[in-house]
Amino acid sequence: MSAHISFHDVEVTYPGGLKALKGVTLDVSRGEFVVIVGLSGAGKSTLIRTVNNLVVPSRGDVRIEGASVTQAKGADLRRMRSDIGMIFQTFNLVRRSSVLRNVLAGRLGDVHPLRGLLGLFPKADVAYAHDCLRRVGIPEKAFVRADALSGGQQQRVGIARALAQKPSIMLADEPVASLDPPTSHAVLRDLKRIAREEGLTTLVNLHFIDMAREYADRIIGMRDGLIVFDGTADEATDQAFEDIYGRPIDESKDLRGDS
Amino acid sequence: MTAAPIPPTPAHVVRTRWLLGIGLVVMLALAVLALVTMNLPTWSRVQSGLERNLVPLLRGFVNPAWHVFELASRSMLETMFMAVIGTTIAGIIAFPLSFLAAGNLLGNARFALPGKGLLVGVRTFPEILLAIIFVAAAGPGPTAGIMAMGIHSIGFLGKIFSDVIEGIDAGPNEAIRAAGGNALHVFLFSVVPQVLPEFASSLLYRFEINLRAAAVLGLVGAGGIGLPLIQRLQFRRWDEVSMFLVVIVTFIIVVDTLSSSVRRRLV
Amino acid sequence: MAIPDPNTVPLRPGFASRMLNWSTWVVLVGLFVVSLQQTGFDVEALTSGSQDFVRFFRRLVPDWTALPQIWRPLLETLQIAYLATLMGTLLGLPLIFLASYNTTVNTPVMWVARSILTVLRSIPDLLYAAILAPILAPGPLPGVVALTIFTMAVLAKLASETVESIDPGPLEALRAVGAGRNRVIVYGVLPQIAATMTSFVLYIFEINVRASVVIGYVGAGGVGFLLLRYLNFFDWGGVAALIVVIFAVVLLIDLLSVWARSRLI
Repeated sequence: MSAHISFHDVEVTYPGGLKALKGVTLDVSRGEFVVIVGLSGAGKSTLIRTVNNLVVPSRGDVRIEGASVTQAKGADLRRMRSDIGMIFQTFNLVRRSSVLRNVLAGRLGDVHPLRGLLGLFPKADVAYAHDCLRRVGIPEKAFVRADALSGGQQQRVGIARALAQKPSIMLADEPVASLDPPTSHAVLRDLKRIAREEGLTTLVNLHFIDMAREYADRIIGMRDGLIVFDGTADEATDQAFEDIYGRPIDESKDLRGDS
Repeated sequence: MTAAPIPPTPAHVVRTRWLLGIGLVVMLALAVLALVTMNLPTWSRVQSGLERNLVPLLRGFVNPAWHVFELASRSMLETMFMAVIGTTIAGIIAFPLSFLAAGNLLGNARFALPGKGLLVGVRTFPEILLAIIFVAAAGPGPTAGIMAMGIHSIGFLGKIFSDVIEGIDAGPNEAIRAAGGNALHVFLFSVVPQVLPEFASSLLYRFEINLRAAAVLGLVGAGGIGLPLIQRLQFRRWDEVSMFLVVIVTFIIVVDTLSSSVRRRLV
Repeated sequence: MAIPDPNTVPLRPGFASRMLNWSTWVVLVGLFVVSLQQTGFDVEALTSGSQDFVRFFRRLVPDWTALPQIWRPLLETLQIAYLATLMGTLLGLPLIFLASYNTTVNTPVMWVARSILTVLRSIPDLLYAAILAPILAPGPLPGVVALTIFTMAVLAKLASETVESIDPGPLEALRAVGAGRNRVIVYGVLPQIAATMTSFVLYIFEINVRASVVIGYVGAGGVGFLLLRYLNFFDWGGVAALIVVIFAVVLLIDLLSVWARSRLI
C-alpha cells in the first residue's frame, strides 16, 4: 500500500539561517499512530507543520497520497488542510467564543463561503459538532466560554474541533506539554482511541519517553533536524533514546538542571 | 456512527442572541430613520455640485500652487507656536489641579469629586465652540485660539494626569514613610518621579492633538493656518488649497512621528 | 555573587532623566519664548482687556424663547454623528485589517493601507468638513462624509495596536483547519477584539458629537449654522441658550458613553 504521507528530502531553513530540518525522508502508512520524540529544537514542530504547509519547506516535498501539499496554493491548499486535523500545545481556542463555536470552526474548510462568514452553519454540521463533543466526553460544555474550561477540557475541545473536520490525518504538536501527568495520559488515551475508531493517520510530538512507549505504534526520534531512530515501541530501548537525547537516560538521575 | 439529535440551546444563550439581534435591528432602523429625515440634498443637486467642483478640485489637487508655499509654511509655523503656548500653559495649570482631582493623594476618593467634576466640565465643552466665543469676545487672532486651546487642554490633561497619579505604585510611598519621611518627602521622592515620564508623554500627545486643533481654529477666525485656508476655500482656489493641505499634512506627520518616538522611549 | 563596587559600575540614567536635563529645558523654554513673540500672545492685553471680557460674558444670558428653533438642528447634529460613526466603522474595519501585519493580504498592500490611513489621520475633522462643504452643497451631507472619513482614520489609529497584539494561536489553528483569510478574521480576530472595539466606537461617537456640533459653522449641517447666524445678528441671548443646550447634550452623551464603556470591560 502506498504511503499516506511521504516526506521527500525535506529541508527547512528559517530566515536568519537556522536549519530546522536537514533532509528528512519518511513514509507514513494509513492508520499508523506515530510518535515523534526529541529535544526542543530537534525539529519536531517544524516537521509536523510541513504536513499542512504551515511551514513551507525550503527544499524537498511533502506529499499526501501522492499529491504535493508543499506546492499547493490557495483553494487547493485550503481543501487539503481541511482534511488534516491539528491540535496544539496551547490549545489555540478562541477564548471568548463558546466551545460549540470553536468546534464548528472545524467545519470552516467545507462550508459554503457565505454561510461560513455569517456563522450560519447547516443543522447537520451543528449536530455533528455536538457529536464530536460527546465523543471527547464533554457534551455538556457546549455553550460555555472556551477559557472557562480546564486545560485538559480545552485540549479535548481542540480534538473535537479537529474531529469536526472529518479528517483522514491528525497532527498533534506537543498536545499534552501544558497538562499535568494524569490529564496528559487521559488526553492521549482519548486521542489514540479516536484515531483507532476513525482510522486516522496520526503524528504526535511528545516530550516524554514513557508516554511515547506506551501509546505509539511507531516511534521516530529526531535530533538536530535529522531522524536518528525509526522503529516500534519495543525496539525503542534506553540505548536508542540515549542516541536521540544525546545523554544517558537514567530514572535515578534528575533530568532537570546540571547533574 | 449515528448522529444524535441536537441538544436544546440553553436559555441564556437564546437571550443573548435575541438581544444582539434586536440591538442590530434597532441600530439599522435608527440609521435609516436618520437618512430619511435629514435634509439631504437631492441626487441631481449633488451631481451638479460635483460636476461643477470635482474636476477643478482634482486639477487643483494634482498641481499644488507653489507660490503660496511660503505663506502656508509661515502660517503653519504660527499654528505650531499657538499649540506650543496653549499646551504649555495648560500643562502648567493642570499639573497642580490634577493633584486635587486624584483620589489617592487626598486621603479619601470622595474629596476628589469636585476637582474631577470641574475637569469634566471643562473637557466637555467643544474646543471650537470655546474659540468661537473667545473670538466674539476678544476679537479674531491667535490669542482667542490659544485661550480656547489652553482651557480645553487643562480639562484633558487634568484628567490624564490625575489618572496617572491614581495609578502609581503605593509601595515606594510606604518605603519612604518607613524610612522616616513626611508627606513632602513622599511627594517629592516617590510620587513625582513615578509620575513625570507619563506626564511628559501625555503632554506631547496633547501637543499632537492641539496642533491639529490649532490648524482648525483659524477656520472660525482664531488664528493660525485656518484663516488663509478658509479664504481660499471660499474662493475655490483649489490649487492653493491643495498646497496648504500638503503643508499641513506633512507638518503633522513629521511632528507625530517625532513625538511618537520620544513618547515611546519616555514610558 | 559579589555586590558590585559602586565605584566601578556606573549608574546609567534612564531616558526620562536624560531628557529632563538642562539642554532640553533650554530648548523648550526657548521655543516657548519664540512662540510668544511670533503669535503676539499678549497676557497684559488680556488682563487689561478683562473688563471688556467680563462685560461681554454678562450679556450672555440665555434666551429660552430660542429653544424651538434649536431642537431640529440639534437632532440633525446627532444624526450626523450617529451615521458618521456607523459608516466610518463599517468602512474602516476592512482598512484596518489590511493595515495590520497579522491580518493583511500581503506586504505592499499593508503599506499602502497604512500610508492612506496616516494621511487621512493628519487632517482635522473640521477641515474635512470645510473642504467638502463647497463641493457637496452645504447641508448635512458634507458633514456626514467628512466625519465618516475622520472616523475611519481615528478608529484605525486606536485599533491597529489592538489587532496586532491579539493571540496568534487561534489564527494558526483556523488556518490549519483550512479557513481562508476572511474566515480567519471573522472567527479568530473579531471575537478577540470585539469588546475593545466597541469601547473605541463609543469613544469616537463622543468625539463625533462634539465635532458635528461645530461643523455647521462651515456649512456642514447641524446646530453650528445656527450659532453662526446668532453671532452675525449679535443675538447674544440665542448664543447663550444654544451654548447651554450644546453643553448639556454633550455632557449627557459623554456620561452615557463612559457608563457603557465601563460595562464592556
